[in-house]
Amino acid sequence: MRFQRFNSDFTEPEEFKEIHPTLLKRAEILSKELHELEVEISKGTGGFDINQQTKFSNLSSVVDVYDDYSKKLSSYKELQSLLEDESLKEEAALEIETCLPVLVNVTEKLKAKLLPPHPFADKPSILELRPGVGGVEAMIFANDLLNMYTGYASSNRWKYSLISKTLNQSGNGILEAIVSIEEPGSYDRLRFESGVHRVQRIPETESKGRTQTSTAAVVVLPQMSDKLLPEDADERSFAQGEVRIDVMRASGKGGQHVNTTESAVRLTHIPSGIVVSMQDERSQHKNKAKAFTILRARLAERERQVHEEEERKKRTDQVSSTDRSDKIRTYNFPQNRITDHRCGYSVHDVDSIMSGEKLDQLIDELHKHESQIKSKNLLEELEKGL
Amino acid sequence: MVRIPTNLILRARKKSSLLPLLLKPCKTIDSAEQELRWIQNELPQNQWLKACYLRSNNVPLQYILGSQPFGDLNIKCKKDVLIPRWETEEYTLKLVDQLRSIKESLKIIDICTGTGCIPLLLGSKLKNSSVKGIDVSEKAILLSNENKVLNSIPNVEFRSGDVFDANIVQEKYDIVVSNPPYISADDFKSSSTEISVRLYEPKLALVGGNEFYTALVNNVLLSTDAEGFLFEIGYTHQYKHTRNLLNLNQWNTCLYFDSAGNARAIIGWKKGSKMQILENIR
Repeated sequence: MRFQRFNSDFTEPEEFKEIHPTLLKRAEILSKELHELEVEISKGTGGFDINQQTKFSNLSSVVDVYDDYSKKLSSYKELQSLLEDESLKEEAALEIETCLPVLVNVTEKLKAKLLPPHPFADKPSILELRPGVGGVEAMIFANDLLNMYTGYASSNRWKYSLISKTLNQSGNGILEAIVSIEEPGSYDRLRFESGVHRVQRIPETESKGRTQTSTAAVVVLPQMSDKLLPEDADERSFAQGEVRIDVMRASGKGGQHVNTTESAVRLTHIPSGIVVSMQDERSQHKNKAKAFTILRARLAERERQVHEEEERKKRTDQVSSTDRSDKIRTYNFPQNRITDHRCGYSVHDVDSIMSGEKLDQLIDELHKHESQIKSKNLLEELEKGL
Repeated sequence: MVRIPTNLILRARKKSSLLPLLLKPCKTIDSAEQELRWIQNELPQNQWLKACYLRSNNVPLQYILGSQPFGDLNIKCKKDVLIPRWETEEYTLKLVDQLRSIKESLKIIDICTGTGCIPLLLGSKLKNSSVKGIDVSEKAILLSNENKVLNSIPNVEFRSGDVFDANIVQEKYDIVVSNPPYISADDFKSSSTEISVRLYEPKLALVGGNEFYTALVNNVLLSTDAEGFLFEIGYTHQYKHTRNLLNLNQWNTCLYFDSAGNARAIIGWKKGSKMQILENIR
């Protein structure tokens, strides 16, 4: 499937380049590994092993693309050789025209598969949304974004739950919202959403019809614990004394003397100074469990960013697809346009993006953009190493 | 009684016409808003006004909503039975953590069980144990059985019984847990007991003292041959009183503080027994 491109600042590279042999060597190793695994499974001595099965499906997903690539490549080469034949030249050129885009597509796919996966690619995710500059309009926009992501989750049939949501005074926007998306791998799809989103439109609060620019910030975190584990699994991942737990309660005798409903919990992670408060649930126990989930996710994301920063310093090249540039995307309502500034890609359909239905279109483009940059970097490293 | 400033009431009314009603029990706008949210989430709209009105008369929110979360259980609450407190939830979860490490199946007994919250949480977390809950109030026994069905926990049973009856239990148990009434008669009349507790929660479950700890030790702890116990307390002198009832050549005790920093329980174990692990509860 191909999408029409508007207002874009680079054109599709229709010319085809073969994948670098060093990268292909990786694919060959993987396919050999798959073959060995197949033999082992067919012997069937070990019984059903879940780890073996996941490894198998992971490997075969790469090798399938690799086989597809090799097939398409050889037929492409054949066609190319036919070009020299005067009688078949025209027909071959026509054929090439149709099969080239498919080949380019498969090449991109294979490149993405061969790159080392994101460390948290298989994790469920947590989204945090907060209004930026722009007053009430920013709060309304943050709420619109929240609806976009929940809509996106439901259109993918992902389970999600609101961990907390604080409405603004007039009730039309949010001051903060935290959503947990329980689908494993949702982090990998949504991680590009981290950053500042900018909106340009005539706010519903504006009486004179002037266009206003506002922002909202989105943070995407990986959810570290398994949902199958008991709900205090996150708490157990911290050493004793690493986190200070404060329950916010009035002084007094407590116990049977009072029956207040105060259930707020505040966690302070002492080494990093990160503070997480949670108060939405009536149960202190649940508030604490939620706060620990968020704390752990924030720490993991922070660690990953530090790691990525170090990696980037090692390279001369400064390009990165996940750096926190000041704004990542603009939603321009008057022009019915959404532009992602990292890959320079625009979509002219604000409504179906904001409902979450067509968000995949943007995310696909960002994934492609990232794998292009990553494969470029990887090749440079490999060439340096040779 | 603290007077609520007029401007606070006006500010609350701007947000919602129901909010000023909740200011009286909640004092601050933030906590009033939180309670309003819970009321609106859990009750149908035609009951909101009535709920807020009841709350403004200091009826406990748990009675209005009809429940209180306890660990991952939802405990039904009714008039005439004490509402489970967060301190109780906290130490019960810590107790679970310790008892989990004992592999053999345990027999646990809870005296003055009320809603049945302690035995139900223990039973739901320690699947191979068998737990008994005893209360003197028939209403409490009815409610705790209801809670057992609501949370579908099979390994817990409830029956009525009076802790002052020397023959209250015949069987043997490994550990005794209790949250007996411990507020002194003077404190119950003073402002140190919240008005909503005083007006709406059962006095039977609240006012008591050392006589309960004496009865717990003599009629339950010693006659069941238990090796460990945990009794909730309200004052440190109740710790001293209970400790003095024990043969200290056999028993070790410690004073447990809740996370608000109040002395909340006496924990005891027979020296060298499997219940020695109770010393890890902090």
